Amino acid sequence: MTVIDPILADVQKPTSQARGLPNAHYTDASAFAEERDALFGAGWAGLAVASEVPQIGDAIPITFLDMPLLLIRSRDNAVRVFQNICRHRGMILVEAPRRIEGAIRCPYHSWCYSTQGQLVATPHVGGPGYNSHADLDRTTLGLIEVRSHVWRDVVWINLSGHAPDFEAAMADVIARWGDFEQPVHHGGADSRFSLTVEGNWKLAIENYCESYHLPWVHPGLNSYSRLEDHYNIEMDGLTSGQGTKVYRQLRDEAGTTFPDFPGLDAKWDAGAEYLSIYPNVLMGVHRDHAFAIILRPDGPGRTHEHVHLYYAAEDTDDTLRRRNAAQWKEVFEEDIFVVEGMQLGRRAPGFDGGRFSPAMDGPTHCFHRWAAGRLAQARTVEA
Amino acid sequence: MSRTLDSALSAAHATGDLDALVGLYHRAATDANAEDAAGFYLTHAYIFALERGDPRAEALRDHLVFLGRESGPPAPGLDQPAAGAMGGVRT
Repeated sequence: MTVIDPILADVQKPTSQARGLPNAHYTDASAFAEERDALFGAGWAGLAVASEVPQIGDAIPITFLDMPLLLIRSRDNAVRVFQNICRHRGMILVEAPRRIEGAIRCPYHSWCYSTQGQLVATPHVGGPGYNSHADLDRTTLGLIEVRSHVWRDVVWINLSGHAPDFEAAMADVIARWGDFEQPVHHGGADSRFSLTVEGNWKLAIENYCESYHLPWVHPGLNSYSRLEDHYNIEMDGLTSGQGTKVYRQLRDEAGTTFPDFPGLDAKWDAGAEYLSIYPNVLMGVHRDHAFAIILRPDGPGRTHEHVHLYYAAEDTDDTLRRRNAAQWKEVFEEDIFVVEGMQLGRRAPGFDGGRFSPAMDGPTHCFHRWAAGRLAQARTVEA
Repeated sequence: MSRTLDSALSAAHATGDLDALVGLYHRAATDANAEDAAGFYLTHAYIFALERGDPRAEALRDHLVFLGRESGPPAPGLDQPAAGAMGGVRT
């Protein structure tokens, strides 16, 4: 690959010599637009979770990277993603979450679509009371579907439509967590929460990648999980993160724990791993629960974090589940000030992207290296 | 359209009562003196039936097809491929 931009070349140097992406990638609308195609559109990005549309007909409009999308569970029980627009005049079809009982009717001129996206009715299109026209072929005017795939309940989308199949693209991470390739059960309403952070989406990824900050930002973890109990994970071009060797299960006063995922290797008895799956999904696995965080950027300076917790069984103890969600929420909230602080720091003209600790920041640099490579590749294609 | 029916339609639109809209527009079509008016009201009944997932949609569509105001098969079963045949199309 030819890298023309010297800054992107610097980012791709070895960790000990590299610098991070420059300020513009955290603050500028033009860089944000470039990343939309190069970092999100070209591969598989997380949009939502399938558990948000549990019943047939459930539909949720989602603005993702400024694009109006529609997440829906269609009549054939498949989770699908469409561009949330009528093919007639581009009107938004669904404005708020609701259940589609029959057809999706455009509120403008009432063109109707099935939940699988077919255009099924075009009232008065041939004149009053005439609902067809020879020049208007309904079979070519279905909703625009966005390629999607559900893995570990996360709905991943490929906006370009040209990425390798999800299972091929993510083969290495799927294999890494092969023990966990089994059903996961969303904990329900008390196991989902959202946080809004006044910071660029990449800062949330970067912070999540590394354990370096744990003793300083999450001192409560120090009591049982020391820095030296963690290890770095770097899988070039795909994911990076951290693992711990001292995961301790949550217990109530009676000693009750969540049930384990069956058949796990012994390394997971006290092990847990946390991966930033590029570009925007943060995941964690433990012997008895897992989580997924979907980052939805809202312009260059704001990120909505949607957190979902999962268990090995459908029925788990209510109190314990709520405690677990509260515990994780506290940890994730502790991270907000650093993400927002780094965002403010990107307004300093003297900041050159910063340096990485060769020992501790490998996972963060792995993410920067991936981003710089993708950006350079996109620019090369454009040129 | 009678004033009563007109008022009932306005109320059903105001509350988003799809069930009522299907029935009232169908009644308006039945009461209409001219085929164009009937086609107009049948269309509305059909669309709201589609939106509601109402089984009346099928008969309404058949009626529209019979009047040459809706394309031919398939039946309105949602999630079937959209109409390919062009019977009843106004050009």
